[in-house]
Amino acid sequence: MGQLPSRSLIRISLAMALGLGAGCSHWIEFATPIETTPTTNTTVATDDRVPLLLETIRVTHNGSSIAPPALLERQVLGAIEATRLFSQHFQSGHSQPSADQARVTVHLSIDNVVEPHAGQAALRGFIIGASMFTLAPFISLNYDYATEMSLEMERWDGQIKQYHATSTGSAHYHLFGANPEIIEQLKGQVTEVCLSSLLNQVIQDSTFYLANKEQPPGGPIRTVSVGVRRSPSRAVPVSQPITEPFRQ
Amino acid sequence: MPFLNRVLTALALGSLMTTPFLYAAEISPTITVGTQEVGLAVGYILPHRLTEDHTTKQEGPAFMPSWMITITDPLGSSWYRGQVSIGAEMVYIQFQEPILTHGVGFTPKIKYSFVAGDRIRPYAEFAGGPFWSDLTGKIPEESGQFNFILSAGFGVSYFLTDQAALNVGYRFQHISNAGTSYPNIGLNASLPLVGFSFYF
Repeated sequence: MGQLPSRSLIRISLAMALGLGAGCSHWIEFATPIETTPTTNTTVATDDRVPLLLETIRVTHNGSSIAPPALLERQVLGAIEATRLFSQHFQSGHSQPSADQARVTVHLSIDNVVEPHAGQAALRGFIIGASMFTLAPFISLNYDYATEMSLEMERWDGQIKQYHATSTGSAHYHLFGANPEIIEQLKGQVTEVCLSSLLNQVIQDSTFYLANKEQPPGGPIRTVSVGVRRSPSRAVPVSQPITEPFRQ
Repeated sequence: MPFLNRVLTALALGSLMTTPFLYAAEISPTITVGTQEVGLAVGYILPHRLTEDHTTKQEGPAFMPSWMITITDPLGSSWYRGQVSIGAEMVYIQFQEPILTHGVGFTPKIKYSFVAGDRIRPYAEFAGGPFWSDLTGKIPEESGQFNFILSAGFGVSYFLTDQAALNVGYRFQHISNAGTSYPNIGLNASLPLVGFSFYF
């Protein structure tokens, strides 16, 4: 009848709101890539660049070979394209550069390791359920993901260079914060971090992949800045709420 | 009973009619960590009098809306490969025998779903929690209205689409008060059930 709620009711409501809020939280942590390299940017002559052919992508998932997802292929090709080190980008099975054209052929190997801590999650889930979900805000669940990439780049004259990078990350979430997007974001970001580390090494060898053309005497030399396009979050791999945007 | 039959038939037909079928595409639902499931199961309580002290023949329909969330990726690599999900379930039982009474409960629930099959996925489940009923104060087996309900069972989910499944199962159900008052002989029953689940 118009009475204000008692203090205890307000306290209970606040506690429930806080508990529910904490029970919905989730965050992702990145371990620093094992093979870190300083970010490299350089300038190359536009006309010296050659086409790149992404010939094979081999993917394993916990040791088992799987067909590379189309999304991953696009992510890899997009990351290479974003460096602007190559004049054109082709993928095996699609359009090809002409046979007499100098090009760089790429073979990429990706080994993913997933550790979902399933047993731990099942046990913790049981405990959370047995507590009538009151422990949900206090017990977190974990999901680890690691990727290891090996890149083999073959120049038009047969010279080969190999690069290697690894990256790991962990998603931590409370029961009511669990959703498939957390895991997808973890995988996507770990892949991106590893890919950036790999391409950064390639950029350091950028002159290796340029055709040595003689510039016309007195003619203008057009240049392009090449480098790995990094998102700000990858510069400092720290714990960060997943709700914050990672994209530039 | 005619009313119950109408309700069960309507639910079964309704779930079939409202769920789009996919005939051409292969149905292999991808259930990952964080996938949620809401469902409704209906069944009928059939009593088990396990000792001479059990005299009550409780019967009646049971309605169980539920929510669950998958917390693991598939475990194992053989026929037992499966996923764990936890959640909660409301239980409403209308006891039509021995006297028309009601019972309502809230039970946290854990389920293990076998995922080796694509659209046919067996599961085992366990649930337990508080249960209130006005039957249990009126029968010799139980002395109070506040009790606990435990159920354990198994069933099969048949996925109509990647997100919707029909379920058929069986549960053994036990109701008692955990010794909070006497007598506490307990009620036991079988609960065959059907239901549907929606995954998102």
